[in-house]
Amino acid sequence: MTTGELTRRERARRDRIAEQDREIPVELYGLRRGTVTLLTVLAFLFAIFTLIPIAWIIINSTKTQANIFETFGFWFARPFEFFHTFSLLFQNVDGYGTFIQWFGNTALYAALGGGGATALSALAGYGLARFRFRGARLAFFVIIAGLLVPITALTIPLYLTYAKAHLINSIWGMVLPSMISPISVYLMRTYIELSVPHELLDAARIDGAGEWRIFYRVALPLMVPGLLTVLLINVVAVWNNYFLPLLIFNINTKYPLTVGLGLWSDRAVNSGDADLYPMLVMGGLVTIIPLIILFLVLQRYWRGGMLLGSIAN
Amino acid sequence: MSAIALENLTKVYGSGVTALDGLTLDVSDGEFVVLVGPSGCGKTTALRMVAGLESITAGTVRLGDRVVNDVSPRHRDVAMVFQNYALYPHMSVYDNIGFALANQGMPKPERDRRVRSAAAALGLTDMLNRKPRQLSGGQRQRVAMGRAIVRQPSVFLMDEPLSNLDAKLRVAMRSEVLRVHKSIDAATLYVTHDQVEAMTMGDRIALLSDGTLQQYGPPGELYDRPANLFVARFIGSPEMNLYEASLDDSGGLVLGSQRLELGVLPAALAARAGQKVVVGVRPEDLTIAAGAPSAPASGSRAELAADVRMVESLGSELHAFFRIDAPAAGDGGTEQAVAEEGSLGLASLAYNGVARLGPRSGVRAGDRVTFGVNIGQLHFFDGDTGRAIR
Repeated sequence: MTTGELTRRERARRDRIAEQDREIPVELYGLRRGTVTLLTVLAFLFAIFTLIPIAWIIINSTKTQANIFETFGFWFARPFEFFHTFSLLFQNVDGYGTFIQWFGNTALYAALGGGGATALSALAGYGLARFRFRGARLAFFVIIAGLLVPITALTIPLYLTYAKAHLINSIWGMVLPSMISPISVYLMRTYIELSVPHELLDAARIDGAGEWRIFYRVALPLMVPGLLTVLLINVVAVWNNYFLPLLIFNINTKYPLTVGLGLWSDRAVNSGDADLYPMLVMGGLVTIIPLIILFLVLQRYWRGGMLLGSIAN
Repeated sequence: MSAIALENLTKVYGSGVTALDGLTLDVSDGEFVVLVGPSGCGKTTALRMVAGLESITAGTVRLGDRVVNDVSPRHRDVAMVFQNYALYPHMSVYDNIGFALANQGMPKPERDRRVRSAAAALGLTDMLNRKPRQLSGGQRQRVAMGRAIVRQPSVFLMDEPLSNLDAKLRVAMRSEVLRVHKSIDAATLYVTHDQVEAMTMGDRIALLSDGTLQQYGPPGELYDRPANLFVARFIGSPEMNLYEASLDDSGGLVLGSQRLELGVLPAALAARAGQKVVVGVRPEDLTIAAGAPSAPASGSRAELAADVRMVESLGSELHAFFRIDAPAAGDGGTEQAVAEEGSLGLASLAYNGVARLGPRSGVRAGDRVTFGVNIGQLHFFDGDTGRAIR
């Protein structure tokens, strides 16, 4: 079997080993053993701090409302209500709408908004990184300036504009602003400058490729790790966005998870009649799981060495 | 009609730096022309302007009968090999070589035939399915060549294609590049900073310095009749020995405390009688006057006594670094540039000349020797302008 026919797993293994071989043993960093231990302990504590809410939400998703309040929060209690509570997510509670519909809305907004933001940032970043044109610097500074404006400062103008443009209660009111991401443009520009060499684009031009073809056949494959980072950032941002949908939607069938769960939360706090706390906990758990899966799926694509063999140094 | 014709080609960058100053040059069909010069002399800029990758400040680039100043690279029908290969890392060797043909919309069967024949010509047949990362340096170099020749271009550009290879492979690839050139018979413009590559490969050599053309001609002409001091220094290794000297009225050359009898001078030189000149002698034009320490010089020979300071044996020949009491002709800018090229140069004050002798000439450091000087091969330059006197 030649090296050209290694399986994907074999290749991954070889790359991992090559990666490890380049690492320097920790002793050679010039840190004292005590310092290393201290840093390890701090990192460990921070990890616990981060993971505790997730443990809590998993444990309490199995409990009844009474047990959520009355039993120890970090251990299980009978009866085991996980599947029963899970099934409630598919039901319409008191006419407030169903969790599953909000889930679908969120997924749709995240896919369109995150995907759109990634596509736009890739194009903008490529243009800014690899073309010289009049006003390029100015355009870039304007984009960066967009980072500095807090969204709350835009509430009133945004709402008035939306009302005029008939974007209230429209999914485009949610999706279009989500596609604009200055930080993503900045990230893509930087990533392209580091990972898409001028020479490759020159070579493709000499080879007779048009600019579009150069972009998607030569540049885009080299941008994949950067694109995935930007995609993840934007999907998470849309997924977790509360303020914008709260502003533009007043029909509960359009709500994303954040606003829907917020509604349940108000209801649970303000009226004691509904058995809503277990559903809130379960809803929270189901809301974060897709993001965890997305991260785990994408992380295998974050790898170095994309340019190996292309450019001699 | 020439395949490539550059007229007064000039490049001034936005910062005001002139990278190329009025380059005029023509390359005939099937000719192999080497653009050579030290780093920053404008040779790569010139090549990129021919390719269309660099805008033209002034002058024209003509390919065949077409002025292409404003034609995009993809419509110029040029192929180019880049210094660092610039292979598409995510494509197989097959797709790398076939990319240009796919861009032309060539039908698959024809494309396949051309890719395979280019790969066969370069010994890449077994590697068509590999990615660039799975290839050695030499193989990557071949893929870069394959990508260029598969198009059967009328103009072939190469930007230091061998500079990333190790010394042995570089020598092997020199003949390979020439073989490929002969087989496709395209007008080739080849950029290098290596004068050995230039001498061994070029039908003609264009030597550039600071954006201006110093001399354009066959390798032998640059070597035997350098147009100026820069050419004299740049071409040849070890480089030419150059001294400040003067001509006396009776046809003699005064070199420090010694006098060489030149005999009858050519007119251009005779007119300089009594003046200072720069004289150059190639290391191989100094020989050990064997067995006859005081034999009178014949009409074409003269003698030069020198102190040998250091000897380097290359096996097949011996380089004797010596000192004579004549001042070496200095020229800050070019001397530095030449030193960059890795030749030993005259940096150390200990010696100011070198002779290339036979391996068994028996010269040792510390010897006082008398060289026979091949008078017919002396080169004379104007000390002020640096131009050859002829």
